[in-house]
Amino acid sequence: MIFTKKNFRCIILLNYKFFSNEIRYCSLILNNLIKMILFFCYTHILYRVKGRLYLKDILTKINRLAVDNFSAEYSEVRAQKLKKTLLTLKEGRVEAAKQGIESGVALRVLVNGAWGFSSVGSFNLQILKTAVSEACSMAKALSKRMKNPIKLADTKVINDKISVDPKKNPATITMEEKIKTSLAINQSSLSYDKRIKSCTIDYLDLFGTNYYSTSEGTFIEQDKLYVWSRITSSAFSNGTFSFSREEIGSTAGYEVFDKQPPDVIGEQVAKRAVTQLDAKPVKGGKFSVVLGPNVVGVFVHEAFGHLAEADLALSGGVLSNRIGKRIGSKVVNLYDDGTVKDAFGSFKYDDEGVPSQKTLLVKDGIVEGLMHNRETAQKFNMPPTGNSRGESFRVEPIIRMRNTYMAPKDQSFDELLEDVTSGYYMKSFRGGQANLDGTFQVGVQEAYEIVDGKIGAPVRNVSISGNTLETLLKIDAVGKDFELWPGRCGKGQTAFVCDGGPHIRIKEVIVGGSA
Amino acid sequence: MAVLEKDSMLSLADYAVSYALQKGASEVEVYLYEGHSTNVGIERGQVTKSNKILDQGLGIRVIVRKAIGFAYTNAIENKNTINDAIASALSAAKASKPDKNWKDFPEKSSYGLVEKTYDRKIIKLQSKDLVSLAYEMLDAAITVEKNVLPIEGGVSTAFFLNGIANSNGVRAFDKGTYIECSLAAAVKKKNTITPVCFEFNAERTYNINPKWVGKEAARLALSALNTKRIETRTTNLILTQFALQSLLSNTLINSVKADNVQRNQSPFRDKIGEKIGSDLLTIQDDGLLAGGLGTAPFDGEGVPQQKTNIIKKGILKNFLYDNYTAKKEGKESTGNASRAGYLSTPNIGTTNFRIIPGSQTPEQLIEEVDDGLLIYYLQGAHSSNPVSGEFSVVATPAWRIKNGEITHSTRGIMLSGNIFEVLKNVSLVANNERKLGSIISPWILVKNVRIIGK
Repeated sequence: MIFTKKNFRCIILLNYKFFSNEIRYCSLILNNLIKMILFFCYTHILYRVKGRLYLKDILTKINRLAVDNFSAEYSEVRAQKLKKTLLTLKEGRVEAAKQGIESGVALRVLVNGAWGFSSVGSFNLQILKTAVSEACSMAKALSKRMKNPIKLADTKVINDKISVDPKKNPATITMEEKIKTSLAINQSSLSYDKRIKSCTIDYLDLFGTNYYSTSEGTFIEQDKLYVWSRITSSAFSNGTFSFSREEIGSTAGYEVFDKQPPDVIGEQVAKRAVTQLDAKPVKGGKFSVVLGPNVVGVFVHEAFGHLAEADLALSGGVLSNRIGKRIGSKVVNLYDDGTVKDAFGSFKYDDEGVPSQKTLLVKDGIVEGLMHNRETAQKFNMPPTGNSRGESFRVEPIIRMRNTYMAPKDQSFDELLEDVTSGYYMKSFRGGQANLDGTFQVGVQEAYEIVDGKIGAPVRNVSISGNTLETLLKIDAVGKDFELWPGRCGKGQTAFVCDGGPHIRIKEVIVGGSA
Repeated sequence: MAVLEKDSMLSLADYAVSYALQKGASEVEVYLYEGHSTNVGIERGQVTKSNKILDQGLGIRVIVRKAIGFAYTNAIENKNTINDAIASALSAAKASKPDKNWKDFPEKSSYGLVEKTYDRKIIKLQSKDLVSLAYEMLDAAITVEKNVLPIEGGVSTAFFLNGIANSNGVRAFDKGTYIECSLAAAVKKKNTITPVCFEFNAERTYNINPKWVGKEAARLALSALNTKRIETRTTNLILTQFALQSLLSNTLINSVKADNVQRNQSPFRDKIGEKIGSDLLTIQDDGLLAGGLGTAPFDGEGVPQQKTNIIKKGILKNFLYDNYTAKKEGKESTGNASRAGYLSTPNIGTTNFRIIPGSQTPEQLIEEVDDGLLIYYLQGAHSSNPVSGEFSVVATPAWRIKNGEITHSTRGIMLSGNIFEVLKNVSLVANNERKLGSIISPWILVKNVRIIGK
C-alpha cells in the first residue's frame, strides 16, 4: 500500500516482564539507598540467568518440534519480555502515568515454501506446542497453491548476547523524575509566549530483552532500550491557529535529555508555533527549494527509501530494474545504516538474526543496492542486509529502514541559497508518504521564502511532491553539514527510525500551496 | 489459553476491582480484552503467509487522591501478574500529580441491543477457507487485466471479547466479530507502473464480496495506466470515501473532540449553533448503527454508545465527549471513549462518523461537473495541520472529469486548502453511502479547490 512517516497516535508496545518485580521490591526499601542498589543488582542477575536458561530450552524444543514432527524446513521463535513507561501531559496536567508489562512469543515456520505464523502472550510449553502445530498446518494448507515457493538466503549461525549499558537507565529513574522532566518541557513551552494555548507531551521508555532462536542453531539474546518523547504546541491569535511538533528518540538511555535539555526543546516547539501565526499561505507551483537536514531525511525516506525496500521493489516498484543505473545526480549518495551509535533506528541483529550493517544504496547517483530480508535476498541473489524487523511479538518481521540518510558534500548553507532568486527553504517536516510509482509527498511545518538568495518571510501549509525518478536528478548541490533526526515509520506496523543528511538544493520540485 | 467468556471475564474484572480498592485505590476501573484473529496474506499474486494471533490482556486505571495511574499486562493466566499490574498502577498514580478536574468514573447504566455485530459464521471459518476467498479475489482481479500486479492484500477474520468493571457500579461485557478482504494492485506495462490502487470490504457479519474487491482494485489500477498531466487551476472535486476518510480523520474529527475544544485547539470553540458548512452537510456520530465497525453497546469506559448530531444542515450541533471532558463541563458523556485494546487509557474517538447521504447517484454527480477531478487516494493527509484544518496533499491517481464525463487519469495533483472552507463549498452529496473504517459517507462534490498540476 502506501507508506508513511508520521506523527502516530499509537505507540510501540514493547515491555519487559521481569523488571516489574524489581520496581516493587525497590519501592519497599526506598529509604535505604545502598540496600536498594544491592537488591536491585541481585534480583536483576538472578532473574536474567533463570529466565534465559528456561527460555532457551523451550524455544529450542519448539523449533525442533516444527522440523521433526510438522515437516517445517525452517522454524524460528522470537520471545520478548519487555516493560514500558508512558506519560501524557497536557498543559501541566498529568493525564495518565502508565506502566505496562508485556511478554509473548512469535513463532514463524516455513513449510513447503509457505509461511505460517502464530503469536501468543504466553511461555507455557503446551500453548506454544499447539501454536507451532497450527502455524505449520496453516502453512502446509496454503503451500499447495503456491507457484513460487519461498526460499531463504543463507546466513551465519550466531550465538550471541547483546547487553545495553546506558549511563542513565530509565529502569532506575523514578516515575516522579520522569514526570518532572516532562513538566519542565511543558512549562518552557507554555511560558514562551501568551499566544501559546496548549502543549501536549507524550513520553515513552521501553526496555527488556528479545530472545531469538532458529532451527538452524542461532540463539541471540538482545537487550532493547528506547527513550522517546513527542512535544506538540498550538498557538492562537487573531483568528489564526498554528501547530508545532518535535520528537526526541534514542537507543541510549535517559541521558538523551542531557543532550536535548527540556527547557530548550519546549521553547523550540513554542517558538515555531508563534512564528507560524504570522506565516502566509504559499503560492503553489514549480520552485527551487533548499531543504534542511530534517526535511532531507524525510525526503530521502519517502522519495527513495521505501522504493529501495526489496519487497516493494519486487512488487513492481520503480527501482526493481534500476540496480546499477543512474537515478540521481552525481552528488547523491544514500545509506541505510543500522550501526550509528545511540540512533533511534540502530540495533545489533535484526529479527532474522542477521547482523545490522551500513548499507550503501546509492553511490554518486547510481543505485548500488536494496534493503533485504532473507527472503528477498534469495530472490535477488544478494546477501541479506539486516533490515528485517517486527514491531512486537504480535506481528511478522518485514523489511524496515533503520537510519537512512544522504551523505554530506562540500557546500555551505549560504552557497546553497545564493543561486536561488525565488524559492522556498523547507526547514522542518510534519509527515511524508510514498507510493510505488515513485510519487512522494513531504508535508512541512516550518518553511520560509527565499528571495534573491536570502531567507525571507515564513510561509504556512506547505508540502513538496514529485516523482523520485525525476526529482533525485534535480538535486544540484549538497551541503557539508549533517544531522540525523528520529521518527516513526508506518508500514502496517510501526518502526523506530532515524533519517537525515545535510542541507541540499533541488532545482525544481512541485510545491503545494493555496494562495 | 482458554477463551474468557462473559462470566470468567467479569469475575476476573471484579477481582481486580476489589483487590485494587483493598490496596488503597480510591476508585478503580478494569478493562479486559481478548482477541483471536486469523489472516492469510497475499504477496505478489499468491497467498504466501498465514497467521493466527491470540492477544489477551488487562488494563487497569486507578485513582489515588485525584491522581490517575494506569498499568496493563498481557499475562492474565494467574492472579500474581494481575496483582503486579495493580501495584504498578497504584505506584504510577502515587508518583503522579492530582487532577483538580477529576470527578469520578462513569456510573452504572443499562445498555441497549446492537445489531449485526456478531456472526458465528465468521468464527467457524478456517484458514483454508480464507485461502479460498483470497484466491477468489486474485482470480477476479486477473479476469479484469492479466497484467495486473496484485501487490498485497489478504483475508482476515477476528473474534473479540471485552469487559469493563469499575468501582462505581459499571459492569459490562460485549463480544463481536469482524471480517475483511483487501487487495492493493497496480498495473505495469513496459516501463510504466501505475500508482497503487486499493479496494476492500470490511464487515461485522459474513457479508464480503472478494470477487468485487478483486475486480474493482484491478479496474481502478488499469484505468490509471494512461495518464495525462493537467494544468494548475481552481476547480471542482468529487471526493470519494477514500479521500474523505483520510482528510476528515486528520482535520475535522480533531476539531469536534471535546478535549481539543476545551484546550483551545479547535476552531469550533464557541461555535455551537453557528453555520459552519453547506446546508447539504449533516454529520452524525452513530455508535449504535447496525453492522457498523465502531458499533458496540458501550464505549471504552462502559458508557452507553449513542447517536450524536455533530452537524445538522450546516449548523454545528455538538462535540464528542468522554467521561472526563463531559464532567468537566457538567455534561453527559456521548459514549465516545475509545481504547487501543488493553494497552492504553481511553481517548476520545469516533464510533461511526456518518455523513448523511443525499439523493443523487454518483453518476449524476459526475454529470454535474463541467471541469473537475474525481479523487480517490490522497497521499500525505496525515501531514495536515490538525488544529487549523489546513491540508496540502497529493492525489495519486485522480481522474479528470470534463463536461460530465471521466476522460482520463492523472497523477501527482497537489490539493491545498482548509477543511473548513471545503465544508462550506460542498455543493452536492451523493446517495452511495459506504463504510470506510469509522467513517461512513457518500461521494461529495466540492467547488473551488486550488490544485497544482504540471
